[in-house]
Amino acid sequence: MAQEQSAGSGQGFAGDSGVSRIRGRVFEWLTLGATVFGLVMVTALLAYVFNDAIRPFSADPLWHLVYATTVVLPALVLLATYYTSDEPAGEVAIASTGIPIVGLVAGSGLVVLFIELLTPADWFGLVVGLVCAAAVVRLHQLTRPNAAVERLFVIVLAPLLAITGIPAMNIQRTFSSPLTTTEIVTIDAATPSLLPSVGDVLRPLLTAVPGWVLLVAAVTLPVATLFGRQVAARRGDGRGVREVVVGSVGLVAVGSLVAPLFGLAPQHWVLLATTAVLPTGVYLEGVVRRRTGVLGVAFPIVLGAGLVLGTALTNAFGLAGPSSWIGWDFLTSPTSITPEDAGIYPPLVGSVLMLVVIITLVFPIGVGAAIYLEEYAPKTGARGRLVELIEINIGNLAGVPSVVYGLLGLGLFVKGIGLDSGIVIVGGLTVGLLILPIVIISAQEAVRAVPDSLRRASYGMGATKWQTTRNVVLPRALPGILTGTILALGRAIGETAPLLMIGAAASVRLAPNGFFDKFSAMPRQIFAWSSEFDPDFRFGVLAAGVVTLLLVLLLMNGTAILIRNRYQRSD
Amino acid sequence: MVENDFDRPGASPENASTAHSTARGLDAETAAEQPTAAAVESSVAETPTTESNAGDSSASHPSSERQSAGGSTAAESTNGIISARDLDVYYGDERALRDVSIEIRSERVTAIIGPSGCGKSTFLRCFNRMNDLIQSARVDGRVEFEGTNIYDDDVDPVALRRRIGMVFQQPNPFPKSIFDNVAYGLRTQDDTENLDERVERALKRAALWDEVEGDLDKSALDLSGGQQQRLCTARAIAVDPDIILMDEPASALDPIATSKIEDLIEELAEDYTVVIVTHNMQQAARISDRTAVFLTGGELVEYGDTDQIFENPESDRVEDYITGKFG
Ligand SMILES: Nc1ncnc2c1ncn2[C@@H]1O[C@H](COP(=O)(O)OP(=O)(O)OP(=O)(O)O)[C@@H](O)[C@H]1O
Ligand SMILES: [Mg+2]
Repeated sequence: MAQEQSAGSGQGFAGDSGVSRIRGRVFEWLTLGATVFGLVMVTALLAYVFNDAIRPFSADPLWHLVYATTVVLPALVLLATYYTSDEPAGEVAIASTGIPIVGLVAGSGLVVLFIELLTPADWFGLVVGLVCAAAVVRLHQLTRPNAAVERLFVIVLAPLLAITGIPAMNIQRTFSSPLTTTEIVTIDAATPSLLPSVGDVLRPLLTAVPGWVLLVAAVTLPVATLFGRQVAARRGDGRGVREVVVGSVGLVAVGSLVAPLFGLAPQHWVLLATTAVLPTGVYLEGVVRRRTGVLGVAFPIVLGAGLVLGTALTNAFGLAGPSSWIGWDFLTSPTSITPEDAGIYPPLVGSVLMLVVIITLVFPIGVGAAIYLEEYAPKTGARGRLVELIEINIGNLAGVPSVVYGLLGLGLFVKGIGLDSGIVIVGGLTVGLLILPIVIISAQEAVRAVPDSLRRASYGMGATKWQTTRNVVLPRALPGILTGTILALGRAIGETAPLLMIGAAASVRLAPNGFFDKFSAMPRQIFAWSSEFDPDFRFGVLAAGVVTLLLVLLLMNGTAILIRNRYQRSD
Repeated sequence: MVENDFDRPGASPENASTAHSTARGLDAETAAEQPTAAAVESSVAETPTTESNAGDSSASHPSSERQSAGGSTAAESTNGIISARDLDVYYGDERALRDVSIEIRSERVTAIIGPSGCGKSTFLRCFNRMNDLIQSARVDGRVEFEGTNIYDDDVDPVALRRRIGMVFQQPNPFPKSIFDNVAYGLRTQDDTENLDERVERALKRAALWDEVEGDLDKSALDLSGGQQQRLCTARAIAVDPDIILMDEPASALDPIATSKIEDLIEELAEDYTVVIVTHNMQQAARISDRTAVFLTGGELVEYGDTDQIFENPESDRVEDYITGKFG
């Protein structure tokens, strides 16, 4: 050090270099300190919450010992060997464990939807309706290839009519001036249903068909086709679609006959198998074919076997596990006046339904806006400045406090349109508005990251702007768009203030059965528990709620990361 | 209507023979243009060898196999296919091209050389209106293709670019399969008859078929740089354009890949009009029939037969540039 400095002092800029080196050190240490401080604080808080929710120390020490030797130790040893000797296997290990877990959770979400919201016949009708609509659009394209505007109408109207038909209308509403509260006009109109939807037509025909058959047709078949295409594309010879489809449908169908023996309803098996078993199978097929990191597949197997063995041992020796607040009962029951019986099921369902509303609202609008702003909007002149102003304001909107959005939702949807307060759709729309700017900005980012050389190549081939956007820009930007959207949805699911403003219930006994039902969401329920008198609520149940929320978030973010990694590698 | 402005009447091979008389449909106009074209040329540089050269080339290309554009006769092959008149290009306030007038000959390789920043790429982009994609760019003047000024308001640049293809400096294949890359142009034009056959033909013409046969479903990104550039060329010729513009297509490649691209360009010139920008003087001398020399400031200083430009340039500045004293 001293030598360096004395050697340097001969030169003109030597004095400065010493000082700036010290400054650099200080800066380095300060930033490191700040990072470590942040991490430690968050970790401490999480450890605290997890401790409260799970209460690991209430378990028999031997219980810990059993699981440590059957599960944790083998897992650690395996991971250590992977990452020292065979790194691809490490990745395979994580993915082949993560995919079924994420799939199971997503499948459970679907199961909940089919318990609370839909019947298999509804869904079947919806899918058949969409297929019909696609056929109509295709037919129009073949018969009148040059009618672009007409096609736009067909593209919008065909799915709409197929799904909703022209339902009976019954409007009775008085519109009054917001300032003087005098009545302006009263509408009282009723029209009969003019056109049944595809679902309405099919429903009477389907009563005799068991639900799981409909689900195999309307869930497994499309998913398996998608996977089949992917497998075929990956193999590079375009074959294998039929094998994958037949194999998956066969597996799921046979499974539904066996599932009741294990206490699982056939419908639920179909959903879980489609979301967890199929993707895992497709992933493993890829691993085996690539022959890289095949050893990683051992990881989930060892983990599963360890769990089974551990459970058998603890049962055999009567070792008590931790008396956690969080567990199966907590996830499947409503809240209660006694902390021991309290659960989070209705708000969990509420959050999921709200998420459905948010996705259908935010994804098309957000991605559409991003594409318009990046690809179509004028960049120069007066209109360019207007666009610039809009972009700046989208940035500002992303920073507006959520409680203000709550107020907006209340004014717009409850007082304005006249929807009931505290129903799922109002919550979804309000929180959707809240994350819309975030989705737009992240989607813009993804679209901007598409190299210009690809656009130039496409235009140079005589592609139109739309063809370039559709065939080159969107496919390339999609992983980024999805990642950004999922992260924004993660933010949406944790929002509390807007829910307070639009009057979401603190707790409900029954899960909402539709988008126009009153609901509570997880953060709203957690907030309610925080003001209970009983400390068991404030510490135990609340912590369990927080952990549930965090786990959902973790899964969503994990999915985002999986998507990102997958597509990064394929480039 | 506008769309059809540059849509070839004989786009599909079946129509080729019937299109024979109509495809060009402007023999009269081309003939009428002849004097003006000559005037343009002589104003830029004297081209004493024009006559003899015309005789040569009609002998060396006795029967062109051009399927699409129909009436490709020996007499026509010396015709100008596209010409610029008093072309100025501005980026904002900066002027990148000054008063360029030039006539590009049909089914020849025309090389554009000049020092860096002199506006070669800008000039090339004028021919298929790729400058439209640059917000700050403004083009003044005329570029005439088949008797129409392509900068007229009623000309659809999309239709134009289907007739005038482009290969860029950096290979830029789409992150799709090899097949999808080559089929891209045909698919965007909804022209998917005999798709497999036409993709194969394009790959063969681009001298890539032997290397990728059987791997057409592989990602184009897995190819080497030189293969990617030939793929981009195949992609451009798959839609059977009239003119292929190439902006330093070999500058990112090693010598072997470069020589393959050069062979390819010479092959292509039998059926297509090729305009190529290059930094490499030897390359220009090797592969081109005509050479245009731009010098700093976006001026076209000299344009004529390659042999003459390299052996006996009119202008001292061009001589200095070619012999390496300047630029
Ligand atoms: N997109 C652009 N925006 C603004 N100015 C540009 C743009 N493209 C080119 N220019 C300017 O126009 C002039 C000519 O550029 P051009 O790219 O045509 O040169 P070039 O002859 O192709 O050079 P090189 O041999 O280095 O590729 C340069 O001065 C450059 O700064
Ligand atoms: Mg250039």
